[in-house]
Amino acid sequence: MSEQLHFAEHTLQEVALGFMALVYCIRIYWFTRFTAGKERQPPTGPASTTPRKGILFSWGIIGMPWAMESSRKNMFMWLQFVLFHMGVVAAIGLSFIIPYLPEVLAIAGVIPTLQVLTGTACVIGVMRMIRRLGGKHMRAISTPDDVFSLLLLTVWFAFAFQAVPNSTANGEWQLMTYFWMTAFFLVYVPFSKISHYLYYPFTRYYLGKSMGRRGVFPFERGQPQAAPTGTPGAPALANVGAIQRVKA
Amino acid sequence: MERSYKAQKVIDRLGQKLNRQVVGSLVACVHCGNCTDSCHYVLANPDDPTYAPAWKGDRLRKIFKKHFDWTGRVVPWWVGAKSPETDADLEELKDIVFGKCTNCRRCTMNCPMGVDFATFNRLTRGLLVHVGIMPEGVAVVSKDQWELGNQMGVLKEDYIDTVEWMSDELVDEVGDDKAAIPIDKSDVEVMYTINPREAKYDPRTISDAAKIFWAAGESYTMPSEGWDMTNFGLFSGDDELGGTVSRRVYEKAQALRAKKVVISECGHGYRSTLCEGANWAQFDVDFVMESSVQTMLRYIKEGKIKVDKSLNISSYTYHDSCNFARSCGMTEEPRELLNLVVSDFREMYPNRAENYCCTGGGGAMSMTEYTPQRLKSARVKADQLKATGAKVVVTSCHNCVDGLTDLIKHYGLDMEVTQLVNLVANSLLVEKAAEVPEAEHAVSTTLAFAGRTILVVDDEADARRFIATVLEDNGATVLQAVDGDEALQMMRDKKPDLVTLDLSMPGKDGGRVFEEIRNDSELSGARVCIITGKPELRRLIYERPVREPEGYINKPIQEDVLVSNLRRILELTNKAA
Repeated sequence: MSEQLHFAEHTLQEVALGFMALVYCIRIYWFTRFTAGKERQPPTGPASTTPRKGILFSWGIIGMPWAMESSRKNMFMWLQFVLFHMGVVAAIGLSFIIPYLPEVLAIAGVIPTLQVLTGTACVIGVMRMIRRLGGKHMRAISTPDDVFSLLLLTVWFAFAFQAVPNSTANGEWQLMTYFWMTAFFLVYVPFSKISHYLYYPFTRYYLGKSMGRRGVFPFERGQPQAAPTGTPGAPALANVGAIQRVKA
Repeated sequence: MERSYKAQKVIDRLGQKLNRQVVGSLVACVHCGNCTDSCHYVLANPDDPTYAPAWKGDRLRKIFKKHFDWTGRVVPWWVGAKSPETDADLEELKDIVFGKCTNCRRCTMNCPMGVDFATFNRLTRGLLVHVGIMPEGVAVVSKDQWELGNQMGVLKEDYIDTVEWMSDELVDEVGDDKAAIPIDKSDVEVMYTINPREAKYDPRTISDAAKIFWAAGESYTMPSEGWDMTNFGLFSGDDELGGTVSRRVYEKAQALRAKKVVISECGHGYRSTLCEGANWAQFDVDFVMESSVQTMLRYIKEGKIKVDKSLNISSYTYHDSCNFARSCGMTEEPRELLNLVVSDFREMYPNRAENYCCTGGGGAMSMTEYTPQRLKSARVKADQLKATGAKVVVTSCHNCVDGLTDLIKHYGLDMEVTQLVNLVANSLLVEKAAEVPEAEHAVSTTLAFAGRTILVVDDEADARRFIATVLEDNGATVLQAVDGDEALQMMRDKKPDLVTLDLSMPGKDGGRVFEEIRNDSELSGARVCIITGKPELRRLIYERPVREPEGYINKPIQEDVLVSNLRRILELTNKAA
């Protein structure tokens, strides 16, 4: 291993990681300086829908594709979301495994698993880029940051895929590029939309708390029902008098 | 270029209104586009990306990023940060947040990140209202609610007159003086609050509710003040108005020492009074509040009232109001109640928190400049209604009643709209009613307009014939005019007791005819009831610099609504005289 690669795998990563942590701390401090709105309203809905249940439901909703129409009607998109984020976890994990736990890669199945995850994420990244640039609505809501962040991740996945074997047999450039990209990624993330995961717990917490208090979350009082064959224009089920309840 | 005064005020105000919930939503959006297909405006306008919830939400996010978020301050173009600079920018923003969104919250329910677009939209509306930029209808309604205490400009004496009139009718109907509607009675179990639309256009719902309270033996009252539980602050984003309106209701309930406030069927009224009002008013409520839907359901379950579902003989579907279902979790009680009072209930799909907006929410019915795009977006709802195969759509929201009525007419659906209170009252088994001799009751109904001469002005022969037939069946002498000039001439010649006036007529339209009537010294005292199939024209009538009409009825006309409204006009104006 060259000195440059060693630097990229260790010092560079540690500095970048430290920078990201520092910026995130500042960011969280900035965010929490905004006062949370207090809710005085008396609870509505059934007693079984509490703020606590609402929060848990809200946090877990991305894992329940049946709970939201936008996921339920676009299961392929939801699957892409899952695989893409699994790729993110794999690529981030790789940046720790190679410098600190390289022996993990010797375990049977680890390399192919990581390559499948990062490779699939890369393909999905390309698909998402086509969707973002090809669709009228997606183009209209996209900023340069949105496009760049997706491009950055997609290319990063490609290099992560190549870096997985942790081999310099064909030169160091794949590993070198992967680690330099990882460092750039760590520095860039707090300023980009990629930092959405930092806010996810907060936004879903507050929405869940409010919706739980009002009896909307979790949807336990009669699941919102999709039309049998899609609506509008779906045939009605005549005389559906009974209320479908998840809980009696 | 120097930023306009109003634009700067909007930015400053945004800084004051930001809280953690809003900031969280503003920074969390990843522009994934999952919300896009959840919006009825998008579904009806698939080629126009400016209807996409994320695009609309970005209008506020751009300002936030530019002034309150670090990346947007340093490299605004990179994250799409941008300031409003001119009043024209604010006007453009107004057309988006008022004209392209009904705050129905369907997109919020479909956002994986939990971004509350509807709250953004309301917040942005509030910023604009703060600097006086809003649709004219919003300004008019807000002014009425600030100044008169209700959003339809109903004067206190008119409200009291209407309640007393309904009270008299009910006493006559059931033959029991105890059925009289109490006003400002203290130490009661229930203070019943209503939507001013009920007092102004649909008083039947007041008497229906009173009949149910009477049958249940409830100790209740209607208040003389603080009776309007609707709240335009929810629509305009004006928290100060919202707080003031809610406080009126809360303080009146406390003054009357009512144990409970029952809110008549109104989605936004329920949400405003029960959920948001306490926050806006910073008021800790110490009494119970519930929807009349829950009240009626409880009465039936407790055996306080008895109903016979065979009395409601049509086929019914239920439309979930956005504010009921997506903001208050009220989805099962209406269905449970409906199944107790009708035999043929057909579910609508999607439903509950996934139901589509009636398209009249968020104050849309008061913003006539956006009517064409509202009705275009209503295609989604129309398809949903049609698919049920039901003849009647039931809803627990007055806004939805108007929105649905309008779209049913626009799309030519063979459906009617009604509310649960009407169905419960219609199915109510009342022992006293049997004591009223049928013949006597029939005579009294037949003679509703006995001795009255009523002029019906409408260019549509079918409409004219229908109205004339109903009035003649009720004892009136009916005159008919097909246009404005003929109507004015007949008024001079025949001096009718009342004129029903259509607004859309070729030549001299109803608005001009109405203004001429009011400006003519000989005719100015005439009692006029506007009847139109275009609710958006209502504003044009009420904004004319003349005394407003005595009544207003939407087409399609229901026979009982026509009779009760015209009787009310004749009886009230008689009292006034």
